[in-house]
Amino acid sequence: DQAEQFFRSGHTNNWAVLVCTSRFWFNYRHVANTLSVYRSVKRLGIPDSHIVLMLADDMACNPRNPKPATVFSHKNMELNVYGDDVEVDYRSYEVTVENFLRVLTGRIPPSTPRSKRLLSDDRSNILIYMTGHGGNGFLKFQDSEEITNVELADAFEQMWQKRRYNELLFIIDTCQGASMYERFYSPNIMALASSQVGEDSLSHQPDLGIGVHLMDRYTFYVLEFLEEIHPASQTNMNDLVCPKSLCVSTPGHRTDLFQRDPQNVLITDFFGSVRKVEITTEALSLDRDVAGCESKFLEEELATEPLKYAEQLPVAQIIHQKPKQKDWHPPGGFILGLWALIIMVFFKTYGIKHMKHVF
Amino acid sequence: MAAPLVLVVLAAVTVRAALYRSSLAVFIAERVEVASPLNAWKRAGRGPWWCHTWTQTGACGSIASAGPVRCPCTVSCFYAVVEGLALLDLGVSPYSGAIFHETPLIIYLFHFLIEYAELVFMITDVLTAVALYLAIQDFSKVVFKKQKLLIELDKYAPDVAELIQTPMEMHYIPLKVALFYLLNPYTVMSCVAKSTCAINNSVIAFFILATIKGSAFLSAVFLALATYQSLYPLTLFAPALLYLLQRQFIPIKLKSKSFWLYTMQYASLYLCSLVVIICLSFFLLNSWDFIPSVYGFILSVPDLTPNIGLFWYFFAEMFEHFSLFFVCVFQINVFFYTIPLAIKLKEHPMFFMFVQLAIISIFKSYPTVGDIALYMAFLPVWSHLYRFLRNIFILSCVLIFCSFLFPVLWHLWIYAGSANSNFYYAITLTFNIGQILLISDYFYAFLRREYYLTHGLHLTRQDGTEAMLTCSPRSC
Repeated sequence: DQAEQFFRSGHTNNWAVLVCTSRFWFNYRHVANTLSVYRSVKRLGIPDSHIVLMLADDMACNPRNPKPATVFSHKNMELNVYGDDVEVDYRSYEVTVENFLRVLTGRIPPSTPRSKRLLSDDRSNILIYMTGHGGNGFLKFQDSEEITNVELADAFEQMWQKRRYNELLFIIDTCQGASMYERFYSPNIMALASSQVGEDSLSHQPDLGIGVHLMDRYTFYVLEFLEEIHPASQTNMNDLVCPKSLCVSTPGHRTDLFQRDPQNVLITDFFGSVRKVEITTEALSLDRDVAGCESKFLEEELATEPLKYAEQLPVAQIIHQKPKQKDWHPPGGFILGLWALIIMVFFKTYGIKHMKHVF
Repeated sequence: MAAPLVLVVLAAVTVRAALYRSSLAVFIAERVEVASPLNAWKRAGRGPWWCHTWTQTGACGSIASAGPVRCPCTVSCFYAVVEGLALLDLGVSPYSGAIFHETPLIIYLFHFLIEYAELVFMITDVLTAVALYLAIQDFSKVVFKKQKLLIELDKYAPDVAELIQTPMEMHYIPLKVALFYLLNPYTVMSCVAKSTCAINNSVIAFFILATIKGSAFLSAVFLALATYQSLYPLTLFAPALLYLLQRQFIPIKLKSKSFWLYTMQYASLYLCSLVVIICLSFFLLNSWDFIPSVYGFILSVPDLTPNIGLFWYFFAEMFEHFSLFFVCVFQINVFFYTIPLAIKLKEHPMFFMFVQLAIISIFKSYPTVGDIALYMAFLPVWSHLYRFLRNIFILSCVLIFCSFLFPVLWHLWIYAGSANSNFYYAITLTFNIGQILLISDYFYAFLRREYYLTHGLHLTRQDGTEAMLTCSPRSC
């Protein structure tokens, strides 16, 4: 049973991609949303090197911010999610659809620093959180472009084909957010959205001191839920539910592509970076078959050649001269025909009498 | 007259040689106005040894040593020639890529002459100029003879003495024609860019020479060559036929048997030589690949690189559904003016030839400045029409301004990014409108002069008061 629990999730590392797609002061709540999730994810163990945070980052130092260098997420300024150790990877105008898709698929120019890359592998569980203004089938990026649900689904498929994730949790907090996960077709994706198609996601509460809405309802209740979680908690995904009375909009979820039962999926599988380490003092007995395999393996090892790197530079091939290419020549018949014609034309024009001068 | 011609030729050759050696050569070769998809140099010839490493997609960029190279050329630029021969050396048909659109005879010509490409183009220009010189010399004599005949037959009104062309003023016309062709900046740029348009011009010039000399056979052969290379000189069949008929003193009446006989003879000569040339080109590569690649390309206009023509912008924004219809409409536009012009100008086939050449170079699918240079070379022949031209100042300003604005707006659009294709197309449109107005101005002036010649300079109405020759809104 303990072994079963050990192998429950196949992931060995966790990544998080947190995207806030809005800018400007009146979209304060989207930045606060994203920073809240960032804070929770970091608190539960995912290091900054494994978080790709994309924010417009124009809230903390905005001239309209009465409390500079802070971004609050609760009323009465209880929780400053900006803090001292926020590491924003893509800020301001770098938050574009192109950059987002490049981060996901890994098609990044070689000069990109490590902090801006999603260096996940096939044993990574990735949390992707997106917030902003959206509509039926699209999400608006910074007022100038949009990403569609088809693009997103294709990006995830690219990730699957390149084995860039083990399991993926996609959370979206926008209006009509459920439309964004409708088109997913890659395995091992679980999706949560703050509202169904046709519904708007509502914001939580305005703060009269700051003057804007501080958070969206869905993320507010997710944050409240996550504050209760610690790295060793066994809460599963079925507990992450926002009732309609609190969220007003109907949160949606999609688990048909996910191979495990959500009941068995721990919150910390995605939100935390829980290493599978088990300290045991008892000796594990290996099966007889396993022992047999081991001895066979030793025998084979002796028989095979020592491993070496594949030839990277086929020097021999390079040094060899390339065979001289035969130049193309026009066929003889063509040349003959052409000149015969030219001579015929010449003589027809100028008369046959010149022939006797030629010969 | 040979000495001044030799002097002009030497000056032209020097200018071209100087430009070849300068750094402007690469810059000019890249300009879309000069090099079109049909006459690209880099696509026909075999370049230096590193051309062999090109792939079929045509890495034109590796050739130029100066700066970033884009290959804007589609039909007539040298890049295509070089690439085509490189592909041949790699054992692949040059028409299998989408860049090479030259005829097999050009392949044959440049296969042996690729190392002397610059010399070839300079000699081609010189040959064109000499051909034009000889042609216009003969034509002047013919015009003068005809004028004398008409004076003696009292066909002219009595007070038109100032309109009659005198030998004095006609003496320098051939030299001026050669000068106009050789030292025209358009021709020089076209030669420096090694655009195969020069070869096309040369064939048409020889065709005109053969027509004026009266040799139907040679003229049919050269017309077949010109049509073989780019399809549009087909329309020059009509003016050549009219000229030859006039020379043979065959009256142009639809019922006359000798008219039809001669027409049939000329047409059969032309078609036979065309068929022979096409079959001969088949034997060069043992395939008919060149027909869709050359003629299909000219007719269906798949390449929409901007040039100074009217096709690219229109087709770039058109839906697929309508493109066939509009391609047909645009192509018919080139051939459409032949019959009406033939009916109107049947007494003046050389002017008809000039107007037809201009129409071809304006409305063809991939025009370049080399085509413009050819018909502009003929302008001195009609310098006596100067007093009747109405808009010549504005039009020359328009043409010069637009020529200067072409590279400016291209730079703004492609490099600076602060303009867009509309700017460039606006200048293209203005330039073409300028050309069209130039031609129609000359047309009007020509007809007006003919009218004055037969009706006298001082026109009077029926009751004796002075009348003015204006054009009705319909005919101008």
